[in-house]
Amino acid sequence: MTTEAPAAPREFAWRMPGNWWTRTRHYFLYMLREFTAVPMALWLIWLLYEIKRAGSGPHGYYPRSSTAFVVFSVIVLGFVLYHSYTFLKLAGVIIRVKLFDRPVPSQVIVVTMFGSWALASAVVGFVLIWFAR
Amino acid sequence: MAPPADAAKYASEVGGQTLLVDFESYDVLVVGGGLAGIRAAIAAVEANPRVKVGMVSKVYPMRSHTVSAEGGAAAALRPEDSYEKHAFDTIKGSDYLADQDVVEAFVREAPLEIIQMEHWGCPWSRDPDGKISARPFGGMTTWRTCFAADKTGFHMLHAVFQTSLKYPQIVRHDESFVTKLLVEDSRCVGVVALDIRTGRFDAITAKSVILATGGLGRVYAFTTNGNICTGDGMALAYRAGAGLKDMEMVQFHPTGLPFTGILITEAVRGEGGYLLNNEGDRFLKRYVPNKMELGPRDIISRAMITEFEEGRGFDGPHGKYMHLDVRHLGEKVIDRKLPFMRELGREFVGIDIVHEPIPVRPVQHYMMGGVDAEISGKTEILGLYAAGECANVGLNGGNRLGSNSLSECLVFGAAAGRAAAQYASSAKPVSANPVDAMLWDEARRVESEYLEKKGGQERIGPIREEMQREMDAGAGVFRTKEALSRLARNLGGLRERFEKVKIDDSSRTFNTEIVAALELDFMLEVSSTVVFSALAREESRGAHARRDFPERDDAKFLKHTVCFHTNTLAPRIEYSDVHITTFQPQARTY
Amino acid sequence: MPDKRIEIKATRYDPATDEKPHLQSYDIPFYDESMVVLDALNHIKSHVDGSLSYRWSCRMGICGSCGMMVNGTPKLTCNAFLRDYWPRAIIVEPLNNFPIIRDLVIDMEDFMRKLKSIKPWIIRKQELPLGAGEHYQTNEQIDDFRQFSECINCMLCYAACPVYGLNNEFLGPAATALARRYNLDSRDQGLKERLPVIADPEGVWECSFVGECSVVCPKGVDPAKAIQQTKLDTTMRFVLPYGNRD
Repeated sequence: MTTEAPAAPREFAWRMPGNWWTRTRHYFLYMLREFTAVPMALWLIWLLYEIKRAGSGPHGYYPRSSTAFVVFSVIVLGFVLYHSYTFLKLAGVIIRVKLFDRPVPSQVIVVTMFGSWALASAVVGFVLIWFAR
Repeated sequence: MAPPADAAKYASEVGGQTLLVDFESYDVLVVGGGLAGIRAAIAAVEANPRVKVGMVSKVYPMRSHTVSAEGGAAAALRPEDSYEKHAFDTIKGSDYLADQDVVEAFVREAPLEIIQMEHWGCPWSRDPDGKISARPFGGMTTWRTCFAADKTGFHMLHAVFQTSLKYPQIVRHDESFVTKLLVEDSRCVGVVALDIRTGRFDAITAKSVILATGGLGRVYAFTTNGNICTGDGMALAYRAGAGLKDMEMVQFHPTGLPFTGILITEAVRGEGGYLLNNEGDRFLKRYVPNKMELGPRDIISRAMITEFEEGRGFDGPHGKYMHLDVRHLGEKVIDRKLPFMRELGREFVGIDIVHEPIPVRPVQHYMMGGVDAEISGKTEILGLYAAGECANVGLNGGNRLGSNSLSECLVFGAAAGRAAAQYASSAKPVSANPVDAMLWDEARRVESEYLEKKGGQERIGPIREEMQREMDAGAGVFRTKEALSRLARNLGGLRERFEKVKIDDSSRTFNTEIVAALELDFMLEVSSTVVFSALAREESRGAHARRDFPERDDAKFLKHTVCFHTNTLAPRIEYSDVHITTFQPQARTY
Repeated sequence: MPDKRIEIKATRYDPATDEKPHLQSYDIPFYDESMVVLDALNHIKSHVDGSLSYRWSCRMGICGSCGMMVNGTPKLTCNAFLRDYWPRAIIVEPLNNFPIIRDLVIDMEDFMRKLKSIKPWIIRKQELPLGAGEHYQTNEQIDDFRQFSECINCMLCYAACPVYGLNNEFLGPAATALARRYNLDSRDQGLKERLPVIADPEGVWECSFVGECSVVCPKGVDPAKAIQQTKLDTTMRFVLPYGNRD
C-alpha cells in the first residue's frame, strides 16, 4: 500500500478568542481607553441637544431641569480624564526631540505635557468662570 | 522554505511509503547559516553574480551560535599595530602549531573584513573621532579587538544575515538537516538533507559544497555552546573521507558561569577585570606575570584548575569557582562597555556585577581542530570546502586567541565562497542517476534506523548525558593516558547502546527526536576523534595538557594530527607538517 | 528532605493524528532553584517523553528560538524560572497568533517575509569603496538607533499583539523596529525605499498602540515606541515643505 506524504503538513490555524481583551489587565485597560471614545461621542450628541434647547431663550432653558445631563457629564468626565491621562503619559514615547544635540528624556516630555494640560485647564476654567459671572 | 519552481520533484517508494523527494541544483551550496556560512554565500555571489547559491541550515540563520559571541573581532587596523605583530601574537598564542603562511594571509585580510562589516551596517563601537574602536584582549600585545558593545557576535550575525537578504541569488533551505554528503567518483556533488518540518528527504546537488557548521561543544556537559553545536560538518566530512586535523585541541574558556556554562566574555578582563581566588589574591601573577588576566586562555584555564586542586577555589553547589571582579570599573564603564554581562549576571545568577564579583570557572568553548582545509577552504575531497569553526585551516594551532575567531569566520568564509564560486564556474554539472540511488539509500537508512525503529531500550537523553559527563572527565583541561583510554572504551560502549536507542517520536512532522538522534550519532563520531588524537599527542602543547607528558616536545610533535575514518571506533592517524615561515618556535611564556 | 516536584502542562499537536492541539501533563523533579522552563522541557524530552517538540539553542536569551506562552504570557523559556511559578502548575503553549506546526513549534515564515520586506540592510545612494575605510560615526549616533538594533527576532511581541492576532497582514512590532533601526542609522539613506512598506495602511497605521509588545520584549527594544515615532516621522515628512525631505 502506498500513500503519498503531504507536501506540507496541516498546520493548526490561529483563531483569536473573542474574550482576548479580558486575559490580562493591560489588554483590559487598553480596551477601556479605546472605549472612552463612545461615551465622549454620546456626550457630544447630548450637548448638541442641550444647545438646541438653550436656543429657545433663557426663560426656556434651565440647566437644573436637565439633572440627567449633569450626572452624565460627570461620568463622561471620568472617561475623558482617563483618556487624556493615558494619551499624555504616552507622549513621552512618541515624541523624540533633541535639545543641544542631546535627546530629551521621556519623563521630561511627559511632565511638560501634564504641566501644559494643567495650565491650559486653569486658563480655560478661569475664562469660563469670569464670563459666567 | 519552498524550493524553486524548476526543481525536479518526483516520488518514490521507500519502505512502503511514498515520499516526495526534491532534487535541487546549485553552483555553491553552503551548509550552515552562521557568520562563516553567510559570509561565504555573499562572497560567492559577489565574485560571480550569475552563481546560484544555496544555504542549508538546521535552524533559521539568526539562531546560529555566532549570535552568542560577545567580545570582539581582531584586526590590525590601528596605526600603532602591524600585520607582523598580529601574526606573531597569533602564532605564539597557538603554541607554534599554527601554519604561519595561513596566519600571515589572515592578518592581511582581517582589517578589510572589519571595514566590510561596517559598510554592511555592523554597529562597531567608536572612538571619539568616529573611527572604529579597539579594546585589549587575551594574548594580544596591542589593542586590536574591534567590538560592538559586548554583543559583537549578535550584531555581526544580524548585520550579515540581513545583508544577505538583498541577494536574490541566495536561496535558503531553513530548518533542513544535512544527514550525509553526496560523494560520487571522489567528488562531492551535494548533500542529503532532511526537511525537519515535513520529514521529506531532499537531495540538494551542487557543484561545490562549503561546510560552515561550527563547533562541537555539546559533546561536553559543561560548555558555552548552544544545543545546535554538535560537530555535524566535521562528522559529515569525516565519513566522506576527509581528514580531521588537530582534534585534540579543544579550547576551555576561563570564565563561564557555573551550572549553565553561559559565557562571560574575555572583554570583562580586557576592560580591567581581576581574577581572584578564595584568598582574594590575583593568582595569575604566579602563572602569567606579564599579561595577568590578559594571558592566553589555555594557560589561564590551567591556572584556575591548578588553584582549585590546591584548595584555593571557592566551593559552590555546582563546582569550584573563582571571582571575576569588575567592581572597580564603576557603573558608567560597565553600562557602556559590558551591558550584556550586567544583564546576564542579573538574570542567571541574581547578582549585580557593579556591586558583586562574578563566579566563574573554566568551560569548554571552542574547537581549534576541525576539517583539514587550506586557506581557500579546499579540502582533499574535490568540490568540498570548509570554513569557520568546523574547519581547521591552520590559523589557531594549539590555542586560539580571543577575538580571532569572528575575524576567522569572515576571512575564511569569504575565501571559501570565492574559491567555491570559481571552481563551480568550470566544474562539470552533476548528473541525476547516481544521486537518486544515494538519496534512496540514505532516506532508507535514516528511516529504518530511527523513524521506524521499534523496541529500543534507552532514550537519547541518558546516552548523550553520559557521553558528555565522560568527555568532561576524560578529555577536559588536564588529560592522562588512563583517563583517555577509559574514555575511549566508554565511547565504544555508548556507541553500542546508541545502536539500540529508543525513539518515542514516530511523527514525520517536525520530529526533533530524529534530529537529536542524528546529532548524537555525529557527536559520538567526533568525540572519538578528539579522544584518539589526544592519546596520540604525547606532549603538552596549547590547550592540550597531558599530566603524563607535561612538556612541549617540538622534536617529536611539532606536527598536525590528522584523523581518518575507519570501520572501527579508532581513526587512522596520520601527521602533516606545520608550515613555519617567519617565527621559529620558542618557549611560550607571558 | 523530600524531592520537590512540579507539574508542566505542554501543548501537543501532531497533524497526522490530532484534530486540534491539547495539553499533556508531566510531573517532573524540581531539583535546582536555577531551573528554567526550558530545563523542564529538556528533562521531559530526555527522560519522560522524547516526542515533545520545541525549538531552542543558546539558553542564554540571545538566539530568540525558545519563545513560548508560559501561563498565558509570551516568554523566553530559557529565562522563565520554575521558582517563580512553583508550586502552581506551569502551562506551556506555542506562541499565540501563529499557526502551529507541531506541539510547541509555530510557523515563522510570515515573520521572515516581513523581515525581508522592510529592506533591513544599509542602503546608500553611493557605496563607499572598501579602501576608503569606515563611515565615520560616533557612539552618540549609534545611541540614536541602538535600542532598536537589540531585537533577537524572538517574536514574543507578535504573540502579544492583538492587532496581529486579528489581522495577519499587519507588519508588526519587530519588523517596524528594525526598519526604524536602519532609518535612524547615520550611514543609511534608504528611508524612501522603506516608506512604501512602513507607511502602508497595513504598516504602522494598523497599530493602535496597545503597547503589550514593549511590555513582553525581553531585550527592551520598545517596538511600540518605534512604531509611534515612525507614525510621527512619516506624517511630518508628508506635512513639511519639500525641502526638508532627504
